[in-house]
Amino acid sequence: MIRLENISYTYPHTVQKALKNLSFSLPRGSCIMVTGPSGAGKTTLCLAAAGILHHEYGGKKEGVVFVDGLDVLNYPDLTALAQKIGIVFDDAEAQMIFTTVEEEILSAIEHRGLDVAATEERLNSIITTTYLTELRTRSPHNLSGGQKQRVALAATLALGNDILILDEPTSELDEHATTRIVSILSDLKKQGKTILLVEHKYSHFKDIVDALVVMENGTISAIGKPGDVLADVRLKKIVIADFSGIRTMPKQAHQDAQFPVSSDPIIQVRDLSYAYGDILALDSVNLIVQPGEFVALVGENGSGKTTLVKHFNRLLTPTLGNIIINGKNTRDCTITGLARHVGLVFQNPDHMFFADTVNEEVAFGLHNLGITDGNEIIDAALSEVGLAHTKDLYPRWLSRGERQRLAIACVIAMKPAIIVLDEPTTGLDGDEARLVLEILKILQQKGHTIIIITHNKEIATNCADRIVTMEKGKIISDSCGGA
Amino acid sequence: MAEILAYVHKEGFFHRLHPFTKITFILLFGLMSILSTNLLFLVLLVVAVLIIAYFASLSTEVMQQFKLITLMSIILIGLTIITMPSGDTLGYLIPSIIPIIGGHIPITMGAIDFGLVLTMRFMVLICVFQLFVISTQPRDIVHTMEHMKIPVDYTLMFLIALRFIPTLQIEGKRIHEAQLARGYNPGSGVLGKVRSVAPIVIPLVSNALARATVLGLTIDIRGYRTGIRTRIREFAFQRRDYATIFLLIAAGCGYTMLIVQQII
Repeated sequence: MIRLENISYTYPHTVQKALKNLSFSLPRGSCIMVTGPSGAGKTTLCLAAAGILHHEYGGKKEGVVFVDGLDVLNYPDLTALAQKIGIVFDDAEAQMIFTTVEEEILSAIEHRGLDVAATEERLNSIITTTYLTELRTRSPHNLSGGQKQRVALAATLALGNDILILDEPTSELDEHATTRIVSILSDLKKQGKTILLVEHKYSHFKDIVDALVVMENGTISAIGKPGDVLADVRLKKIVIADFSGIRTMPKQAHQDAQFPVSSDPIIQVRDLSYAYGDILALDSVNLIVQPGEFVALVGENGSGKTTLVKHFNRLLTPTLGNIIINGKNTRDCTITGLARHVGLVFQNPDHMFFADTVNEEVAFGLHNLGITDGNEIIDAALSEVGLAHTKDLYPRWLSRGERQRLAIACVIAMKPAIIVLDEPTTGLDGDEARLVLEILKILQQKGHTIIIITHNKEIATNCADRIVTMEKGKIISDSCGGA
Repeated sequence: MAEILAYVHKEGFFHRLHPFTKITFILLFGLMSILSTNLLFLVLLVVAVLIIAYFASLSTEVMQQFKLITLMSIILIGLTIITMPSGDTLGYLIPSIIPIIGGHIPITMGAIDFGLVLTMRFMVLICVFQLFVISTQPRDIVHTMEHMKIPVDYTLMFLIALRFIPTLQIEGKRIHEAQLARGYNPGSGVLGKVRSVAPIVIPLVSNALARATVLGLTIDIRGYRTGIRTRIREFAFQRRDYATIFLLIAAGCGYTMLIVQQII
């Protein structure tokens, strides 16, 4: 259905090729999964395969892309190609145009030349198969990241095309929602649809994947049946994240306890309730975290995990109840004051970067704490996350994995006792995710208290000392990691 | 979080009107406010818009704009006082008791009057546009503009601009939170706002530009340029629309009469 022949591509105003002489074909009815480190060219490959690079992007292009036997340049425009290909981009929010979920999906159906009855039927069928019935009248902008991804997928499926290109469609989904997507794709494959899937969750998709493509530095390092590709130990580490042994990692030689471990809890959450307008997001939550613990906060999308951690540095103030950080009630503290004790790394690192260099980006937090001569601290923080070589680069030029590590460096330079990370491994391949978790483990060994929000059970069981599970605004279980 | 200029799902009479009727309403009220320089007439227009908002069950949303409008009116009146002195002098912006520089920049009746006219004009324009946008689903706006034979590029531009307002607001809040979590304290007031520009606006613009590319591609892929569309769930022109348009035409004629007879 899609064939790429010797495709090379260089983005405008850059010199390095994003794709290097790449060839592969996607046979009709097959499902091919593409994986690899961030910055390897996976998204660019999706754009090339959909004909978008040739029709909508500048830059230097070489090679030919065939869709359904025809060179993409022979299609008059993207709209013509969209009669054959449906694509879900990795940024779900950017694909939300309208004000209700139903309107969003309808907008993909109403230009297909169907009659009113067929349009209504397809709309209802897509809403049911993508489990969006309850969200039908909700505004897409107010949904969680995972829910937005489901709406984006539903709108693409609604086009009814035979070829689907999905760029990380489950990156923000929890286990349950990912399983649902796998089941939807499995049904589509049975219906004869052709699927090109960029993903990091091989273990979830292994039953429907016919071939595996591993990309590195703009080229295909390996392509073939999953079993053959995974026989290579190095490639296997990229495809399947291996978190084993992180919890029992040997202590680092340079470890020096920055925070003397005291017996008093570092975080106390007492009967915390929080409401967004009429919606109760947290309902009488109680939690005690001891200094130096590594806690994984797990739970489905919308269970209240992010709302809970935003209370730790008073980005949110409890509707009812109290939070005690280091013995002080957050109601008596300012956000700026709490930033010295609690570092929060948000899910999307791009929300924080604004400086011209990596060095200046890290220095920003230090300036806020009144430290003007922090070069040594900055160097140490960047070395800690393996980014010392990037200090003069523009932060947004770094790969997703590097940007995630830079976000961590920005926080650890401020030396907060508590470091909270919201989904720190989203969009990272196996190797990159492991690297981030190893950094966190070293920080724990230095005395930091680490709290991570994650959907990944493997991470929770292999890295955390404690797993706290949330559901509908409540903590429903609190157990030891690895149990 | 209440989103600025995002559609509000309600069952008021204004929601039930056809988008074309609402566009006629905006055009008439907009034209009347722009052409009129009579302060009393403009005040009556504002009152009329607020009454409509009340009966449309959208008064809370409209009143939310008044903080912005008050700030804007202070700036406008300040500007007219400085740049357009005319009529009786009521006093001086720099009181005459201050030595050397005192007794300068006269506060004149003409300037205050014109400043108030400008404020009322903007108030009408902002409120009617807000009433239209928050009571009409973007899909219906697109369909109506299509019926009005407005080129698809302009329709899509309008759609994207509308869609980005709540996105920028939500994104701005997230970025603000991310910077606060890094200990950033730009301070309050105007100086604080100026200081917070780089850490908030740079990520906001960078992310929005990246997002605009994907949004544009999504619109193309969904087939908005095909010219084919199933006529489904469209607003039908109903009796209430005819009645409203009749009233609007009558109001327009009445306004023209008042202008011709130089009453306003």
